Amino acid sequence: MSSTLNTIYDAVLVGDMKTTSENVQKALDENVAVEDILNKGLISAMSEVGSRFEAGDYFIPEMLIAARAMSAGMEIIKPLLVGAGVEPIGKVAIGTVKGDLHDIGKNLVGMMMEGAGFEIMDLGVDVTPEQFVEAIKNGADIIAMSALLTTTMPSIETTIKAIEDANLRDSVHVLAGGAPVTQEFVDKIGADGYAADASAAARKAQELLGKD
Amino acid sequence: MTERTANCLAKLDRMNKALRHEEPDRVPVSDFFWGNFLKRWRDEKELPEDTDIYAYYDLDWIVTVPNMDPHIKNFEIIREDAEEVLVRTGFEAVIRKKFADPMPEYVSFDTDTIEKAEAFEFDDPADDRRFFSAGDNQVAGVGDGFALNSPPWIETVKSLRPDFPVYGSQCEANEYMTRIIGGGNLLLWAGLYPEQFGHFVQRTNEWALEMLKAQIKAADGLIDGMVIWGDVAYRKDMFFHPDYWRKYYKPGLQAMVDVCHENNLPVIYHGCGNVKRIFEDFIEIGIEAYNPLESKAGLDVVDLRRKYGHQIAFCGNMDVIEWADYDKEQLKAVVLRKLNAAKGGGMIFQSDHSVPSNVSAENYEYVVNLVREYGQYPLQLGEHDIPDL
Repeated sequence: MSSTLNTIYDAVLVGDMKTTSENVQKALDENVAVEDILNKGLISAMSEVGSRFEAGDYFIPEMLIAARAMSAGMEIIKPLLVGAGVEPIGKVAIGTVKGDLHDIGKNLVGMMMEGAGFEIMDLGVDVTPEQFVEAIKNGADIIAMSALLTTTMPSIETTIKAIEDANLRDSVHVLAGGAPVTQEFVDKIGADGYAADASAAARKAQELLGKD
Repeated sequence: MTERTANCLAKLDRMNKALRHEEPDRVPVSDFFWGNFLKRWRDEKELPEDTDIYAYYDLDWIVTVPNMDPHIKNFEIIREDAEEVLVRTGFEAVIRKKFADPMPEYVSFDTDTIEKAEAFEFDDPADDRRFFSAGDNQVAGVGDGFALNSPPWIETVKSLRPDFPVYGSQCEANEYMTRIIGGGNLLLWAGLYPEQFGHFVQRTNEWALEMLKAQIKAADGLIDGMVIWGDVAYRKDMFFHPDYWRKYYKPGLQAMVDVCHENNLPVIYHGCGNVKRIFEDFIEIGIEAYNPLESKAGLDVVDLRRKYGHQIAFCGNMDVIEWADYDKEQLKAVVLRKLNAAKGGGMIFQSDHSVPSNVSAENYEYVVNLVREYGQYPLQLGEHDIPDL
């Protein structure tokens, strides 16, 4: 790997936005393929961030500043990706379910999924089943739902029902997570996947689309 | 001094013995409740709207909340209709409260840069209005419900004191951070500006300590303990590295606990999430009991008792999801297993956070009655007894 790509990788790992941006531009100036900047520099670094987070060596602040650095790098190469034929590995519509206004967990998951190469449609908080259905019609491959309260968990099941009623269940994968959510609950309500944290959610999304 | 009933004094003795790891007459039981649960409970039991659950079940302790807002001022109602209200509070945050939903949404925070945080000024922590005047305050007024003009804290204490052990409240730094700068910036700034943010945390805890001292003085002997509200963890782990917490948060918490102990007030510390990495720190700090011990965060009172013995008491850990979903046989097995951690005292039975509306009135009452029956000392837990505890 080129030394510039190594520098990008290391900069993202420690959340150094300035060094990331500078070296992404430097890599472009050096005619490094934009796909390599994305995959070997940025996404690869975020994958390591995720691993460290899951291992308990990185915490949320480290993950946030790494994602911030990665986003800065992405801003530079994004306009070039389409021209280079590089597409997102999938589209994820993410939101906190109806009745729930918590967004930090959802935002973290969105960041890690973006870091893994997904295009994110952030539907926000208090998202109705109908809004999730609309997102599927707008091309979402995965619906990722977050609930932080036991009282709002039932909205996850309600949303799955709405997707089924719209005859769209077979065209989307459903991921669910949040503090009270468990694998057992997810299995019971017929979702496709559960993740205990943001990094695991990104990995699960890749797995669901066969991109792991 | 407000006169207390014999029953209240018995409850106080029960609580204090439990917190001192002595066996009282029975395991104390109380809880925190979501508003939607209380509504369901009243509806299902066909009780009047003003029925107080603490009185109904004669629960063993209750917590009160003075005005802890950094800026003492009335809410500024920006917009209000039948469904929601948009309000600016004394934390200089704009909050949207939909009345039908359990939690409010933070729309914006005035303190949105680290420079503004460094310049943030707090009102007098010992201002008498915090304790002796009615008024709006965010911690009491905008959360699960929405309330304007909360009554004077001292009057609330006096009204409860005849019948309940009454605890005061003090928020420590992270409770202030989530309300002044928001959870997002709290986590980001801990990464981007660790020292500057850490100093704001320290400054906040120093201010909170002065408020705590003033609260104790204002109570003038009328409170029986203190709840210190934290929150430095979530389901999986701590929000940030434990060493960061130890450097910037722990000293402030230690100082608060020391002041409480100097005034003979036991401390129940409330901190959600998985705090296993720093549980020994809480023991070292000397808090009497830890709350709420979320089951979803992998905490279990039986395991904790096995690991830590009677170095700390437990307040919580009844899984609210099980409380909602389990049948009576399953609930009995769960409750009696958890009561093993109450051998030798050291336990107050409560939910692992707050009782939500998923829990039926029937299930709630069933569990309370189980604790009342099987929590009598000496404990007789039958097939659910764990001999090595």
